[in-house]
Order: sequence, then C-alpha cells, then structure tokens
Amino acid sequence: MSQPALTITAPGQAAGRRRRLLEIAGAAAIAATYIFLVLTQPADIANGPASFSALVALGGFLLGAVLLIVAVLPVLPTSTVVLIPVALVLNVVLGQLMGGTGLPFYIDAIGTVLIAVLAGPAAGAATGALSSIVWSFFNPTVLPFAAGAALIGFLAGMAARGGLFRRFYFAPIAGFVTGILAGVVSAPIAAFVFGGTSGLGTGAIVSAFRAMGDTLLAAITKQALISDPMDKAIVFAIAALLAYALPRRTTFQFPFVRRYRVLAGKAPAAPDA
Amino acid sequence: MTLGHRDYDMRPPLHPFTALTAAACAAVVTTAAAYSPLSVAVALAAVFLAVRRGVAGRVLPAAAVILAPLCLSLLVLHGLFFPEGQTVLAQWGPARVTAEGLGFALELGTRNTACVLVFLLFSFTVSVPDLVSALAGRRIPPQFGFVLASTLTLVPAVAVRLDRIRQAQETRGMVVRRGLLSRLGALRLQMVPLVLALIDDAGSRAQALDARGFGSRGPRTSYREVADPPAQRRFRAAALLFAAAAVVWRIVASWPVGVPS
Repeated sequence: MSQPALTITAPGQAAGRRRRLLEIAGAAAIAATYIFLVLTQPADIANGPASFSALVALGGFLLGAVLLIVAVLPVLPTSTVVLIPVALVLNVVLGQLMGGTGLPFYIDAIGTVLIAVLAGPAAGAATGALSSIVWSFFNPTVLPFAAGAALIGFLAGMAARGGLFRRFYFAPIAGFVTGILAGVVSAPIAAFVFGGTSGLGTGAIVSAFRAMGDTLLAAITKQALISDPMDKAIVFAIAALLAYALPRRTTFQFPFVRRYRVLAGKAPAAPDA
Repeated sequence: MTLGHRDYDMRPPLHPFTALTAAACAAVVTTAAAYSPLSVAVALAAVFLAVRRGVAGRVLPAAAVILAPLCLSLLVLHGLFFPEGQTVLAQWGPARVTAEGLGFALELGTRNTACVLVFLLFSFTVSVPDLVSALAGRRIPPQFGFVLASTLTLVPAVAVRLDRIRQAQETRGMVVRRGLLSRLGALRLQMVPLVLALIDDAGSRAQALDARGFGSRGPRTSYREVADPPAQRRFRAAALLFAAAAVVWRIVASWPVGVPS
C-alpha cells in the first residue's frame, strides 16, 4: 500500500524560519500572559472585578493559540490535517462514552493525545487549539482554554517523541506531568474569565481553599493540581491503549511513529510496493 | 461573479464575518464594562434576536446546559466563601454570606450568560458553507476551513456509526453489566472499532484530497461567493473600533498598581 501523502513536505528555508518565529511568538505570548497574570493578580477582586485580568487572559492566550495554528497548520501533511476533525470528534464522543461509565472524571482530550502520539507535537498542539475553537461553536466556554489544550497536545507529542509511550506504565506518568502544567496554565482563565469552575465537585474543592483564605487564582490553581494530573494520566493511558489496539499497519504508516520509534514493537514488514 | 444562491432570499443576507464581529465585539465590550445591567441587556438582546430568527428553541436549551452548572457553582462558591468580603450578611461556621461575594457572583454570572448567549446565537444562525467560503477568501489557511466544515459534518455521522457499532457488538454477545470492569470492557469493544474506522477513513480521505490539490500552496478559487455589502464592512470597522476603545479604556482605568506601564 503506497502512501505518498504521508511523506513530510520540506518547506523553503525562509518560510520555515518565519514559521518557527511564529511558533516561538505563540508560545511566548502564552507564557508571558501567564506570568503577567500571576504577577499582577488583583489583591482585591471585588474592586474592579477581574475584568482587566479577564481581557488580558483572553487576549494573550487566544493570540498565542492563533499564532500556533497559523504557524503549524499550513505545513502539516494532508494525512495529518484530515485527522484533526477525527480527533475533535473523538474528544467529544469518547468523553461522553467515558461519562457513561460513571467514573468521576472529565475526560475530553483523548483524541488530541492520540493524534499527538501518531503525528507529533506540532500536530498535537494544532489539534488541541483547533479543537477548542471548533468546539466553541457548541459550547463557547471552551474557547478561552485553547492555549491549555494546545499545551496538552504539544506535551503529549513530546512525550511520544521521547519514547514514553514505548512502555505502557510511562504513559500515565507523562500524563500526570502534563496535567500539572496544563492545569496551572488554565487556572487564570477559570479564575478571571469565568470566576470559578463549572461543576459542583470542582467547585467544592475551590470553596474549601477559599474558606482557608486563598485568593481565587490560588484556590483554582490548587484545585487544578488536585484534579487535572489524575484526569490527564487516565487520558494518556487510554490513548496509549488505543494506539496499541490499532493494527500496526495503521499506526506505522505515520512518519512520526516510524522516525522516533514511538510505539514498542517492530514495524510491520514493508510491502513490496 | 456571484452565483445566484442568495438571490432568491428576500432578506439582506448577513455576511458571516459581520455576525462574528458583532458577537465578538458584544462579548468584549460586556467583559470590559464589567457592569451587570449591561450584561443583562446584552443577554436579553441575544434572546430577543434568537426568538426573531427562530432559533430560540435550540439556543436556549444549549445555553442552559452550559450555564446552569456554571452559575450555580459561582453562586455557591462566592456566595458562601468570599474572604475579601467586608459586609457579612450571615455566617455559619466557616461559610460567610457577604454582600461583596453575592455581587461578584451576580456580576460574573450575568457576564458569562451574556457572552455564551451571544456566541451561541452566532453559531446557530451562521451558515457554515458561507463561513467556510468567506474564510477561504481571506488570508486564512484553507486547512482551517476544512477542519471546521469537516468536523461539523462528522459529528452526526460518528453518532450514527457508533450506534451501528454498538448494535453489531450486541449481536455478538456484548452485554453491559453493572460492574466497572464490565462497563470498561464494553467501552473497549466500542471504542477500538470506532477509532480504527475513523483513522482508516481519514487515510483514504487524505489521498482523495491530495489528488485534488488540497496540499498545494497558492490562492484558491471558490464557486461560492458571499456578498459583502459596503455597509456591513463599515459596521464591522466601527464595531471593532468601539470594542478596541472599550478594551483600552478598561486597561487604562484599572492598570494594576506597581507595574510600570
């Protein structure tokens, strides 16, 4: 089975440098926004309530996500672009299926992590950010979390490149670390844009920290550190299970999987074509 | 050349970007103003427009599903625990009901309601083919339009497919019992075929798209052209200027003390 579409295209030198600059600018926008928000968080949110911080958070994080998409999307091979809608649908459908099992987790990134494992960190970041943008057509509250979703996809891709998906027990550990970082980055959005978390379970945890006198950002960050790492560890484990449940003929057709030996086991014998 | 798609429509069509700009600017101005009567007014205006466009039956339930848990959580969180509050109205142990906390919950609740309603009104009234062709006309990567349109058509298709997979597995003897392990096993029986089929489909779709020049660079032509009257362009420019002014006003008004500007 020949797959000419799956070869990595080599862009021109200048265009490549411009894209790299855009990627760096996107990541810098997200990081700078986070640092600015933490340093300047209003001591008294009741006065001039969080509006300034909300605008900064929305502007900075969305700018970063859009820059990442503009930098990454045009250079992705078609085989990866067609996977992005699949990933988004999987995020939603598998999240709903998991909800049906009665487990108390909000599992909404399986597709993003799976694409990151199969197609690499750039594709993962673009998938995460695009997922948030497209899903905001049905639920606008997802949109501000685009930067966090991009970070999850990027880190999952880096973990796959580093070989953490070759051993099954490393995948949840990588997910745990990803959850810590993504939770911390997303906390200012929950705090300043929405003023809290949706859902009574997480709301109760935030309330407990607030009752101890924490600022809103500190309380939501601590809540994220409790729920997100566990959630992402489960997501990474499910994505690893899916990646190994797929036939090797399917997974090994991705150049990223072959080049970095992402999955354990030998590549299937090359067909004569 | 305009293909006479819209010519039969008597109403002046709203360009997708005009609707999007209006929604985004309304949300930004509401956020910048941080004034709950304005938030309520924006929310009511969105509901009124939804009723007039005949989409209220879909917008309001979708908004309720999103907003009910969020607003309830805000009320419990800030209504009972607001360490910054001074005016204590009631107290039970660690929980203190403060006027500031209730005001903050009201403020954020109305703001979130207004923003969610405005964006849902946009997404339930926009014509996706119009939006995609409008996006293709700008300097936006054509892949973005593909991802958007493809996802919106894939969602119902996947629901149908999942149903078929479940039926097939049930005829093979899949029974979902009460235990967690049984449920997870049933989940695996449904997830693996779904993911495999979707990824396999994507592979053949990639080949078909590449054969038609999807990956090639350069400008694209579209058979579908969306009319963009000058009046709507002027409206968009004015709305963007207004929103930018609101943001600048908010930033100047509440630049945090101690940070060099």
